[in-house]
Amino acid sequence: MSEVRAAVSVEELVVGYGGVTAVDGVSFTVGVGEHLTLLGPSGCGKTTTLRAIAGLESPRSGRIAIDGVHVYDGAAGVEAPPEDRGLSMVFQSYAIWPHMSVFDNVAFPFRVRGVSREASRTAVERALALVDLAGFGDRPATRLSGGQQQRVALARAVAFESKVVLLDEPLSNLDAQLRVQMRSELSDLRRRLGFTAIYVTHDQEEAFSLSDSIVVMRAGRIEQQGSPADIQGAPRTRFVASFLGMRNIFEAEITPATDGLVEARLADDTVLRARDPWGDGRPGKAAIAFHPSNVDVRKHAGGTAGTVTRVLFGGVTAQIFVSSGPLEICAVTRPQADLAEGRPVTWHVAPEDCLVLRE
Amino acid sequence: MAATQRIRLPAETALTAGLCVVVTALVLAPVFAVVLGATHETGGLSLRSLVNVVSSARVIGNTLLVGFGTTALAVLIGGALALILVRIDTPGRGLLEQCVILPLYITPLLTAIAWSWLGSPRGGLLNVVGRELLGIDQLVNLHGAAGVVFVAALAYVPLPFLLVSGALRAMDPALEDSARVHGASAAHAFARVTLPLVLPAALGSAMLVFVQAMGLFSVPAVLGMPSGFYVAGTEIYRLINNYPPRFGQAAAWGLLLLAVTALLVWLQAAVLQRRSFVTVTGKAFRPRLVLVGRARYSLAAVAWVYVAAAVILPVATLLWASLVNFITVDPKLMAFDLRHFRYVLFTYPKTYLAAQNSLLLGIATATLVCGLGLGIGWVLVRTQSRARGFLDQVSMIPLALPSIVLALGLLWTYVGVSWLPIYGTIFILLLAYVTHYLPFGVRAASGALRQLHPELEDAARVSGAGLFKTLWLVVLPLTRPTLAAAWTLLFILAIQEVSASILLYTSRTTVMSVAVFDLWEAGNVNALAALSVLQLAITFVALTLVLRTRQRAVAA
Repeated sequence: MSEVRAAVSVEELVVGYGGVTAVDGVSFTVGVGEHLTLLGPSGCGKTTTLRAIAGLESPRSGRIAIDGVHVYDGAAGVEAPPEDRGLSMVFQSYAIWPHMSVFDNVAFPFRVRGVSREASRTAVERALALVDLAGFGDRPATRLSGGQQQRVALARAVAFESKVVLLDEPLSNLDAQLRVQMRSELSDLRRRLGFTAIYVTHDQEEAFSLSDSIVVMRAGRIEQQGSPADIQGAPRTRFVASFLGMRNIFEAEITPATDGLVEARLADDTVLRARDPWGDGRPGKAAIAFHPSNVDVRKHAGGTAGTVTRVLFGGVTAQIFVSSGPLEICAVTRPQADLAEGRPVTWHVAPEDCLVLRE
Repeated sequence: MAATQRIRLPAETALTAGLCVVVTALVLAPVFAVVLGATHETGGLSLRSLVNVVSSARVIGNTLLVGFGTTALAVLIGGALALILVRIDTPGRGLLEQCVILPLYITPLLTAIAWSWLGSPRGGLLNVVGRELLGIDQLVNLHGAAGVVFVAALAYVPLPFLLVSGALRAMDPALEDSARVHGASAAHAFARVTLPLVLPAALGSAMLVFVQAMGLFSVPAVLGMPSGFYVAGTEIYRLINNYPPRFGQAAAWGLLLLAVTALLVWLQAAVLQRRSFVTVTGKAFRPRLVLVGRARYSLAAVAWVYVAAAVILPVATLLWASLVNFITVDPKLMAFDLRHFRYVLFTYPKTYLAAQNSLLLGIATATLVCGLGLGIGWVLVRTQSRARGFLDQVSMIPLALPSIVLALGLLWTYVGVSWLPIYGTIFILLLAYVTHYLPFGVRAASGALRQLHPELEDAARVSGAGLFKTLWLVVLPLTRPTLAAAWTLLFILAIQEVSASILLYTSRTTVMSVAVFDLWEAGNVNALAALSVLQLAITFVALTLVLRTRQRAVAA
């Protein structure tokens, strides 16, 4: 079996402080030149995992290899300090040294490895040009805007041409507009320079738009890993489904049906046809999940009857809550005058948008 | 997988282990030596020295009197000044606040000498003036217990003042407001809310003062010894300097002092542990000022009286004595010139040696304490090392260790260590100074490090800098404003040190304060005044530099 060579591999990693286990048996590999994102809510252990790869946290057990070399091996007692791992990192706080100029910040990885200022000049200026900061070299680092500091941090990470760049929520401190712009610049930069990236974020939009593969984490463990399309198309657990915005998750009784689909009977006796990518169509109790934007709510049409209980307007869309027996279904549609509170409606979800969750 | 990394000692572990060894050698070795010296004689275990000491009831009583008296008076004055200058609309608060802490920078030796001239029973200037003008035979008598307590308290007032005023500033005024809203009178709110909240700070400062006062040497040497009033500090000095020196007996005194201060530190910790207050949020509040009407002028006057007694009067007396041809109160006989400065600068043989030693010691002490403080502070703030508790506790022990006891311990340690012949050299003084001021360096550096985002260091590590390069290229430059201020203050304190130096110096390693003390013992009052003025001038220059660095740090 031919495989992409691993730039970074993490096996059975456990990191903890005192009585808390922040990362509990995490394994994944990143291929050379790939962009992998660790995605999850705060406190899920994603940043701790990244810092352990960098050598900034000391794990309890497991193995971490970079470019085929074990930089951490709990059983063998191997633990390389961060400076010997040959990585670059962009920090959430940017960590731009305020006592240095922009040039000296970017040249730091060269300086500490004994490369003279003159010898590093070409590489540093190229990196500054890549992030649109050509000519900013002599500026004191303190006289930069947040966005510019972010660019300096990026330039510092790519100037030395490390094969692996770690990024810890690099865009979370920027305002919304700048964040979208920097996201696409980051993506261009990685394609152009071809480095391997491990990226930590809690923002699913960032994760899906940048990544080749995504690791969804929760409470120190991996919930699901795969390509953005795999995860978006078939979240494996209730946690991943709700993290991706599938607000409608209900208990259901599953029975096999035709075309590889199953039939799911909900508590309001609605029967929905659904995909079952994580089961084999076996009957029994399971959960059913669908995204609010996939719920078709109409005044008169086929589907289950219900009543609109609440409407929340949100600009171009509106959230509509429909009571259907003991359930409350959430739908997102364009605002419509006849879908007002108290009106009788019907709702329906297409089989391809409806998913059985086995965990 | 290909080749694996070789196993090696991480830099963090090496640094932590190294610092543990250093603090053990600096702090624990002399403490251990004092215990050993007090309980052993050449024949083996012997408690004779201890028994001798415990039976000297008078000196023990004097020491406790000075210890408790000084502490009570200093905390009372310091606390009152803090209230007057922080919580009341006293006119000239800003200037007064600067003046009230000046005694920190003037060694108590000089204050004591000045007050001994002002208040000695017969020839004291105040008494002479009193006799001439008021016809009162003896206005004041500062020789003896009262004088020692009075002058020592004057000298140590800044410690309680700083701690209590800090606590008052960190207190949310809403706490008092809510007591008032719920029906308490202003006085009641003060007694039931404010006082208990500043109690930990007051107790903490009382501990600091008490440790210093129990081991006090210079003040009782000047104001006590002439009238036969001995305390532990002067008793230790007498035992070491008489022939033959009685080290065992001195060590027993050291152990006794150590036992008393350790007991009180433990008691204080026990008292404070049971009451934990979350009033210090790291946020500074604007304290609510109490308006007291015309009484505010009287309160300002009270504060100025303190400044006059602790700073203006002693410094003016020293200046006057350094310039006047001979000490007299008859204005017709007074003539002023620079002959005493000429004598001190060009004739007196010890001036240059002492000044050189003091400056060297000041520079080396300040540098080493800042360096060690940064290292220890870094381990405390940035690592999860199991040695943190040990480093924290041991590096704070000198706060509970009177410096004369520390000096005794060093004497005892190095007099017998032939492979490290530092006894009788300037290095043993350096060890004493570095150990004595170590807690100050650790506190200053830890505070600065807590202000520094740890990712600034992480970024350097990931960029390829090892731990020591990171400390040198990132941590040191970023903590420089704090460390520079700490360095200068340490320099000022070190060039004025008396209590440890007096036991450890030799004729080759004399320092400025010892030279001043020598001149005092020789009765050469005018030369002594001139030398003191020179010492104060160095302090003043250094202090100006601190204030300027601080202003620059604020401006940046």
